[in-house]
Amino acid sequence: MRTPISILLLSAAAFATEPVKPVAKDNKPPCCRVALDLGKPTDQSLYLLDSIWTSDVGRQIKLGALRGRPQIVALFFTHCEYACPILVGELKAIETKLPAGVLRNVDFLLVSIDSKRDTPAELAVFREKRELLRDRWTLLRGGADDVRELAALLGVNYAEDSRGQFAHTNLITLLNADGEIAFQHAGLKQDPALLVAAIEKATSGAQR
Amino acid sequence: MSMRLVLQWVAALIALCAVRGAEPGLALIPEATYRPLFRGEKDAQEVRVAAFRLDERPVTNGEFLAFVRESPKWQRSQVKRLFADERYLAHWASDLDLGDARVEQPVTNVSWFAAKTFAASKGKRLPTTAEWELAASAGFTVRDGAKDRDFQAELARWYATPSPSVLPDAGGRANVFGVRDLHGLVWEWTSDFNSAMVTGDARGDTGLDRQLFCGAGSVGAKDTGNFAAFMRFGFRSSLRAGYTVHNLGFRCAKDMP
Repeated sequence: MRTPISILLLSAAAFATEPVKPVAKDNKPPCCRVALDLGKPTDQSLYLLDSIWTSDVGRQIKLGALRGRPQIVALFFTHCEYACPILVGELKAIETKLPAGVLRNVDFLLVSIDSKRDTPAELAVFREKRELLRDRWTLLRGGADDVRELAALLGVNYAEDSRGQFAHTNLITLLNADGEIAFQHAGLKQDPALLVAAIEKATSGAQR
Repeated sequence: MSMRLVLQWVAALIALCAVRGAEPGLALIPEATYRPLFRGEKDAQEVRVAAFRLDERPVTNGEFLAFVRESPKWQRSQVKRLFADERYLAHWASDLDLGDARVEQPVTNVSWFAAKTFAASKGKRLPTTAEWELAASAGFTVRDGAKDRDFQAELARWYATPSPSVLPDAGGRANVFGVRDLHGLVWEWTSDFNSAMVTGDARGDTGLDRQLFCGAGSVGAKDTGNFAAFMRFGFRSSLRAGYTVHNLGFRCAKDMP
C-alpha cells in the first residue's frame, strides 16, 4: 500500500470538522446560476452532451450549466429501498467532512435513473426529506435515453427489476470544473479519503 | 413525352432503387416473451417485448462511410474522445478512405455513441438487449432456436472460433424472421448494453457475477445450455460507451409504424 503522505495529510485536514457556512434559504441551486461563457467544452467533457434535464425547481438545463465548478455526481432514484439512501448518506457525510474553504467551491449533483416516477415534484420532496441544501445540491431528472447515455459515460450500469427497483452501480464521480471525470469512487462503505483529496485538488482550480 | 425524358425517368428510378437496395431491409419481429439469462430473485423472469422491426443485417463500412461524409464530426480525426476511443475506425485508411476494409463488411471499431447517432440519422434506433436477444434466439426454420439442430450446430461452431482477422461480408443465412448475421460475424451494440449487472451491484454484489462465472452459480441462470448467451452477457457488461472493438458492430431497429 503506497499512500502518498500528502494525501494522508490532506484527508486528515478534511476530516477536521470546520463549521459549515450557513446558507440563506432563498439561494438558488447550482443549476440555476447564470451560466458562464467559458468557450467550447474540452474533448473529454461531459458538458458536450446536448441533452436537456429538469431540476426539482422546474428549471430546464443542459449539464453544461454546471460548468465552472467541480461537481460531485451520483445517480439515484427516490423510491430506492436498497442502496441509494446509503449513497446519498455517504455524499452528505462527505459534505460534512470537507473544509468550509473547499465546500464553497464544489457542488453536489444527483441525477435520477427513474424517468417514469421521479418528477420534479418528487425530487423536491426528496430534497426536503433528506435536507439537501438548495445552494449546493442540484437534483435532476431526464428522459430515459438521456439517462442511459449519461450513465454510460459515467460507467454506471443499471437495470429495473419487476418491482420497479433499479439495480445500479454505486459510483460517486467527481467532475472537474470543465466537466471531465477527475475521480471515481466505487462502492458503498469505502473510505472516502482519496475522493476527499481529489475534491480538494479539483476545487483549488475552480473558476467560480 | 419524348423518348429522352422517359429514359431519364427510368434511369432516375433505377438509381433510386439502387440507393434503396443499399439500405438493409427491416424484418418484422413479432411480439414475444424474452426470458433474461440472469436474474436475482426479484428480477423479472419474463420480459414482454412488443413487436418491432430490425435491420436484416449489420451496418456496413460502406454505409458508415456515407454517414461520416454527411456528419464530419463523426470522422476519425474529428470525433471527440468523450464519444469514441483512439481505436475508432482504426481499420480504415483515413477519415474517408476505407483502405483494405471492404464496403460490404460490417463496420466495426465504432463506439456506442457513434452507433446510436448513425441509427438516429436513419430515423432508427439501436435495439434493446431484450429485442436483440429475442431476434437472435430464433432458429433458421423455427422461432425457438433451441429446437433447431442446424442452428445450434452453427452457433456452437461460431462461438468456439476466434474472430477472423479479416471479417467476411454481411449476408449469412437468414433466420426464420429473415434476419442475418446475428451470430457468426460480429458482436453488436444494444441501446441498454449497460444494463448488465455483473459487478458492483446496488445490493452489494448479490452474486450475479458468481452466477456468471462460477458453475455452481448457474442455478440462477435461466438456460444453462445457452453458452453463447452467457458469452454475450459477459462481453456486454465489460463494455464502456466509448469503447471501440475490432469485432463489435451494430444494426438498427425501428418501432412498428
